[in-house]
Formats: sequence, C-alpha cells, structure tokens
Amino acid sequence: MADVRLTDIRKRFGSLEIIKGVDLSITTGEFVVFVGPSGCGKSTLLRMIAGLEDISSGELTIGGTVMNDVDPSKRGIAMVFQSYALYPHMTVRENMGFALKFAGMAKEEIERRVNDAARILELGPLMERKPKALSGGQRQRVAIGRAIVRNPDVFLFDEPLSNLDAELRVHMRVEIAKLHKALKSTIIYVTHDQVEAMTLADKIVVLRAGIVEQVGAPLDLYDDPNNTFVAGFIGSPRMNFLNARVISSEAGYITVALASQPDVKLSLSAQSSAAKPGDEVSLGVRPEHFRPAGQGDADLVLDVDVAEHLGNTSYVYANVSPDERIIVEHEGFRSADSRDRLTVGVSAGSSFLFDSAGVRIR
Amino acid sequence: MNASRLFGTALQYAFLGLAAFLSIFPFFWMLISASNTSIDIIGGKTSFGDAFATNVTNFFTQVDVPLVFWNSTKVAVLATVLTIVVSSLAGYGFEMFKSKARERVYSLVLLTLMIPFGALMIPLFMMMAKTGLINTHIAIMLPTIASAFIIFYFRQSTKAFPTELRDAAKVDGLKEWQIFFYIYMPVMRSTYAAAFVIVFMTNWNNYLWPLIVLQSNETKTITLVVSSLASAYYPDYGVVMIGTILATLPTLFVFFVMQRQFVQGMLGSVK
Repeated sequence: MADVRLTDIRKRFGSLEIIKGVDLSITTGEFVVFVGPSGCGKSTLLRMIAGLEDISSGELTIGGTVMNDVDPSKRGIAMVFQSYALYPHMTVRENMGFALKFAGMAKEEIERRVNDAARILELGPLMERKPKALSGGQRQRVAIGRAIVRNPDVFLFDEPLSNLDAELRVHMRVEIAKLHKALKSTIIYVTHDQVEAMTLADKIVVLRAGIVEQVGAPLDLYDDPNNTFVAGFIGSPRMNFLNARVISSEAGYITVALASQPDVKLSLSAQSSAAKPGDEVSLGVRPEHFRPAGQGDADLVLDVDVAEHLGNTSYVYANVSPDERIIVEHEGFRSADSRDRLTVGVSAGSSFLFDSAGVRIR
Repeated sequence: MNASRLFGTALQYAFLGLAAFLSIFPFFWMLISASNTSIDIIGGKTSFGDAFATNVTNFFTQVDVPLVFWNSTKVAVLATVLTIVVSSLAGYGFEMFKSKARERVYSLVLLTLMIPFGALMIPLFMMMAKTGLINTHIAIMLPTIASAFIIFYFRQSTKAFPTELRDAAKVDGLKEWQIFFYIYMPVMRSTYAAAFVIVFMTNWNNYLWPLIVLQSNETKTITLVVSSLASAYYPDYGVVMIGTILATLPTLFVFFVMQRQFVQGMLGSVK
C-alpha cells in the first residue's frame, strides 16, 4: 500500500491540453473515485498514473517515489479494465498467474497467490475455463483476481462495471466495497456513474474538461457543492436550477425572488457582500428537498408535465414557467397526470445559491 | 411456392450448378487425363483410361521427384513464414504506433500494389545478378517477403485487436515485442492461418519469377518442372497431368487442414 501524489499534472496532445494541471493527494488505503462526464479526462488521468500515457508535465509520486518515467509494471500498480482485458487464449488460472510467471516468481508462490485470490473471489470452479466460457460478472471477477495476485500498492479501476447489466452492477459494486474493506488497499476508481462514486468512495474527485472542480467526501460534495457543475453532477436526479434575482443583501442573509414567480421569495444564509440587489443568480434545489405545500419557507406552483411512478416515490417533471422545467421527488403522488397543477414548498435551509458564473454563494 | 419464386430458385440453382461445374470440371479433366495416353487426350476422350500407372512411372523416371518437391516445399514454407512474420509485424506497427508519417508511409506501401510485376522483373533480376543470388532459392524468396497486400490485411485485422489487451500486457510487464509474440500472435491465430493459406498458395504456385532466376535443374520447383514437361517437343500430356495432380496436392492439403481457421480469419479473428 502506498500514497499517491499528483502535482500540477498536465497532458497535452500537440497544442491541445487535455489535463490542465491536476493537484491531488491520495492517502494510503483511501478509495478515491474520479467522476465526471464523458471526455472530462478521468480515464486519461488514470492511464497517466498507470504509465499507459506519458505525463506532459508535472510530477507523479507513488509511495514517495517519482514515477513519471517508470515502466507500468514497476509502479506497484494493478489495473482492472472496462472490457476486462483477459487474455482470450489463456485459462482463468493462466490469466491470473501470467504477470507473476512473467516476473519470474516461483511456481509454488504463484500457485498460492492465485488460489488465495480465487478463494476470495469464489472463482474455484472456473479456474480451468477460458474467458469466452464466462459471464460478464465472472470475467470481471477474474480481472479483479488478476489484479489482486500482484499484491499491488495501488489498484486502478477504469469503469469496471460499465459493461455489466444493472443488477450485476449493484452486486459487483458491493463486492468491490467488500474487497476494499478486506484488503485495505489504495484504490483509484474511474466512473461516470455518480451512484457508484457516492456508494464506493472515501473521496470523490469531480473532473470537468481536464480540471478538478471539487474534491471531497461524497456527502460533503452532496451537501456543500462549490458550483453548479458539481451540484448538478452529484445527486440523482440532478439538482434543479431556478433563475432568481437578488432583492436584498444584508445581515448575513441574501433574499432572492424567482424570476418566473416573483412572489416566491427566500432568504438564504450567505455573506451579504457576495451579491448585491438586482444581481441575477440561480437557486439550486434538489428534487428530494421539495416539501409538501405549506411546509417550506415559500410555495411554488407547478404545471405537471410527466410523472414517473417508481412505487416508493414519484418523479414529477413540471414547469415553473414555460421555459423552466424542474424535477420534483414527491412521495404519495401516484395519481398525478399531465396538466395537473401542483404546489410544493421550498426551504431556504436546503437550497443553494449560485452566481451568474455558476459559483456558489456561501 | 408461386411461379415467380419457383423460377427465381431454379435460376439460383442453375447459376450455382454452372459455377460448381466450372470449378470442378478442370479437376475432373485432370484426373481423367492422368489415366489416359497423350493420343487419347488429344483425341478428346472424356472417360477414365488404363494408363495411370504408366504415366506415374514415366513421371518418376523423367523427374527427380524428391528433389523437386524438396525445392518447392523449402521455398514455399520459408517464404510463407518470413512473409507472415515481416508483414504482420508491419501491419501491427502501422496500426499500433501513431506518428505523423505513419499514413504517408502506409500509402506508399499500398501504392506498390499498383505496380505490375512485369515492371519490376528487370530491376529485380539486375539486383539479384549484382548480389550473386541468381539461381538460388533466396532470390525467389526475397522479393515476396514484404507483401503490401498481407501488410494491409494484417493492419485491417489488427483494428479488431483490443487495445486494452495491449495495455493489460504492459501493466503485466511485457515489452512491445513480447506483447506481439505472447499476446497478439495467439489472439490473432485465425488471421495468421488465413494469411498462411493465401501466402503458401501464392508461393507454391509461383511461376514467372522462379522461371527467370532459376536456371539449373537442381534448383527448379514443381511449377517449372511441370511447365517444362508441357513445353517439350512431343509433350506427354498424361505425364504432365500426373505432375499437375502432385503439384496440386500440397495446396489442397493446406487448405483443407486450415479451412475452419481460414474462414474465421477472413471474417475477423477477435470475437
């Protein structure tokens, strides 16, 4: 096990900069998840840590040693790929032991490590099969087993569950969490699925266009996002952003009125100097934070467009105005139909304020 | 089944029957001719005769069969193995390594497909003459080793090779050449099998270039020997057909042994 430190890491393809100066510190045993939309650079960053992509500038250290130009096999890492990347001409046993055999390890030691990993991952009956005779979940377990036998300092996972169906994904997610608990190893995990990020991570790194937008514990990002991007990305369904205007700004409170329904006014706790009356802002409200009418600080009238009934709850897609559509999580709204009118309560305490550039006003 | 559909099916079978006849008849004719005398063959006889044993005896009397077959096998197998190793390395390299010059160089390689062999014969002969390789088997093999078509074939097939396998192998500590030999070659074995069949047949049947560079009887291959029998002043067509049958057997054998992998390779190795 080892810590990983990235200092001003950059990646350029010609004149195009993909990773734009990432600083990150990952402590020993931590489960860190890189999350972000497609093309944000999260996989590139992971591949740079693995040594599969060159680092254009900056410094990468693993366990205190600079690894910029070190061969991938000498970095003390093991990687699990999205498509499993099992060697199709080898059996499960051969796949798992290949790297060790190649490194010249004694046959008995290889056998011991492979058998240990097979026991942990319950791969016993599959050991003599070729990858094509395995299901997706079994292949992924073999890929994890291949990483485990190397006893690496750092595990790297590149969207390992993306190719699995929904049920298996949930199962494997729990397996990976159990594995981390058992091995107590440092894990860097890439995903675009924020549910995976929230459930697995000790620390989430939210990336956008090669820049780290925010780093923090899952619930910290959920409760205290820095900007509209992080606020929108963390949480499902995503946070609603309502256009609003600042009415007053004094005594540690900023009062805003919605642009579409000026009667709806909320006073949020924030530094008064951060906004002045007349400023255009966004009011962020998560779908699950709407209250029944009369139970919030203000009531919002909505025209229901579509309602999705999931059984335990319903997601109501509704219009605040013809141009503003929001999602409301509404328990006990089973009979809702389109064109119904719905009134919901909004609380200042569970709402967020962002300036016109999308930066949080605290 | 309505009338138009019946007519369509009948037309399909008629076309397939004609294609089958055109493919099989030369073999059938070859077998019939091998069992007849030259006079019967010229007379247009289309049934089996009783001269097969005589023709075989005459062929083995006139031709040093072990030497000729050894020459052909040596040239075909060596040239095929070298062509496949060199061309697959090139195809792998063209697909895996990105550089600004890559597509330009690749275009140049493909451009060589447009140059007819007739235009290369004299320069190649001069090169062989200057290097003292005339009348050697190396002279036959050298020009065939870097095959633009096989390079193209391997590059196209390599597009289906998962790059994550290469990444996984790098993490496992393999160097590029080890990835090629330990991972790429076994994974792409159907592609190799298909290439082997194509290249082996081309080399075994190679006629024009060996005719130019091989001058002594000790170095000649089966195609040259059969051809020389056919171009004699009084050719014995029965004997020629025995030679043709023997010359066909190795390619048939290779094709039938590798038929499954050949079809897989043509469809794509990686599933």
